[in-house]
Amino acid sequence: MTRKSTYTVTIILFIAALFFIFFRFKNEESKKENTFYPLKERNSALAAAPGWSVKQQKASNLYKTLNDSPNDKKALLSLAALFIQEARTTGDYIYYDKAAMHQVNKVLSIDPNETEALTYKALIYLSQHHFADGLQTAKEIEKKYPDYAYNYGILVDANVEMGNYDEAIKSADKMTSIRPDLSSYSRISYLREINGDYPGAIAAMQSAVKAGQPGDEGTEWARVQLGHLYENTGDLKNAEMHYLIALDELPGYAFANAGLARIAAANKDYKKAIDFLQKGEASIADYSFKEQLALLYLKTGEKAKSDQLLNEVINGMSQDSKKGKDDESIGHYADRELANAYVIKGDYEKAIEHALAEYNRRPNNIDVNQTVAWVYYKKGEVLKAIPYIETALKTNGKNPTLLCEAGLIYAKNKNVEKAKSLLQQGLNNNPNIDEDLKMESTKMLQTL
Amino acid sequence: MSEQKSNITKAFFLFLFCVAIFSPAAAHTINYALESAPTNHVVRYYLLLGIQHIIPQGFDHILFVVSLCLLNNKIKTMLWQATAFTVAHSITLALSMKGIINLPGPLVEPIIALSILFVAVENLILKELKASRIIIVFLFGLIHGLGFASSLNEIGLPRNKFFTSIISFNAGVEIGQIAIIIAVYLLVVIPFGKRADYRKIIVYPLSILIGLIASYWTIQRVFF
Repeated sequence: MTRKSTYTVTIILFIAALFFIFFRFKNEESKKENTFYPLKERNSALAAAPGWSVKQQKASNLYKTLNDSPNDKKALLSLAALFIQEARTTGDYIYYDKAAMHQVNKVLSIDPNETEALTYKALIYLSQHHFADGLQTAKEIEKKYPDYAYNYGILVDANVEMGNYDEAIKSADKMTSIRPDLSSYSRISYLREINGDYPGAIAAMQSAVKAGQPGDEGTEWARVQLGHLYENTGDLKNAEMHYLIALDELPGYAFANAGLARIAAANKDYKKAIDFLQKGEASIADYSFKEQLALLYLKTGEKAKSDQLLNEVINGMSQDSKKGKDDESIGHYADRELANAYVIKGDYEKAIEHALAEYNRRPNNIDVNQTVAWVYYKKGEVLKAIPYIETALKTNGKNPTLLCEAGLIYAKNKNVEKAKSLLQQGLNNNPNIDEDLKMESTKMLQTL
Repeated sequence: MSEQKSNITKAFFLFLFCVAIFSPAAAHTINYALESAPTNHVVRYYLLLGIQHIIPQGFDHILFVVSLCLLNNKIKTMLWQATAFTVAHSITLALSMKGIINLPGPLVEPIIALSILFVAVENLILKELKASRIIIVFLFGLIHGLGFASSLNEIGLPRNKFFTSIISFNAGVEIGQIAIIIAVYLLVVIPFGKRADYRKIIVYPLSILIGLIASYWTIQRVFF
């Protein structure tokens, strides 16, 4: 074969390979379009929950409808709603968000202006921590339907996450004026909390609990949030009482078990705390449970167990992020959570990498700024932490963890007056915060 | 042979056109933090990012640039190829980040690997560099630009400094490429380039090695 003909064959093979790659890709895409997302079997603890068999039956009916008419918008949206609910119940956001987004995208390909589909899309974006996208979608809905109360809830959440706190307050007011209920009261409670008004936050969350039906997941979630507010104000008895009520109303509720674990840890009963967290972890796939367990194992001196759990958290979150991106172009942004996990692990280089990645997306959010500031503090770069902690304090929040971390940062930067004031406020009423942080803050305060 | 090049050019553009039509465009991720940062900070940030995207993160781009240096010993020719590559990837990178075209990673990544394989095979077949190589490099640059876009999308761009950040990133990539070219020139071309067996001891083994790695990547990115 001459050089010329070899070259010609090479070019032909190259072009053929190009088209093969393209058509294979299109084929894979079309397979994805027809992917079937079944309702996953629940674990034993959740399978016993009331309503599970009804949900299974409902899903089965919807699959049947869609089998007969694949473009039935109503059925597609009902299935999306069911997946969104199931994500919240099981904590399996990766699978169910993808499944829900699949139905939503199908509806939007039929009718790009379908409001319910857009609402679900915004919700899924928030769930996947794509807050800017969620905010943009909710704003589009607001333009078309200015009296749609549910959308104002999404606007509150998205604005809070993007750090637009004034906008969030406006949306919360609007939401409450249209529909005062559990959703609006709980959001008002959070906004009051981050503005440093704990009594107001507790009152609003009490209203939220009263507005809900006891035993509903939403009501018990609000009750657990109420308990957490009591924890932050040092009222552990009230906190414990609310967690116990939540468990009574909704047996096995994972977040109530997590609350009881914190109370047990505050009483230095780490074995009991681990038991509660393990119960919670058994019923819901949430990395925060594993992370809390890892922290507890550090306290009981079981470093190997702690490291193993942290590695599971880090690998799991990293993989979930990639998995989502490949399949439905959403992908779960978990950089802040990864930064926190790396801080516990002591890998501050990776922690700052992830913290700054999240900061690039949400430079005005107080929690993100707190994370970046704390990572810099742990790295020993205390001067760099200052602008971030200043932003974290901009809403005058009185969260004791924030105040103690801020106090320590200012103390290391020799700003004694500010450090003293923040540490005193943070430790006031003996709030239930991380024991090591409390100890470090107390020691620092004594030296100032 | 020039007719062949013309055909490959047409086929390639047809391919790009088909793909662009079938892919819904999406706006780029926004980097909110850098929107309030001073311009010099943004320039430094994206310049560094561009360099890092080649050295050390872009092993596939490094192999592509090394392949471009093997058929000709003149540094000027190598730099021209690198410039054509940069111009091309700048175009698709900007268009993709603006949301005008959008090619998903699972499609772009195997083609990038295939482009490396093609240049490696070309190095084995051809005895000397043809002028039309620059067209091929330009076409491949268009595809590599889409690869850069998917990586840059993870970091995002500030809306108010869109072109500043894109230009800085591209300048960084160009610096990274020039560094590779200079390294190849100093470590390979100057010591061995004038030897009669240069092709036998350098061009063939290196091209075979690069071709094998690129084949592995192509298969891996298509099937796994």
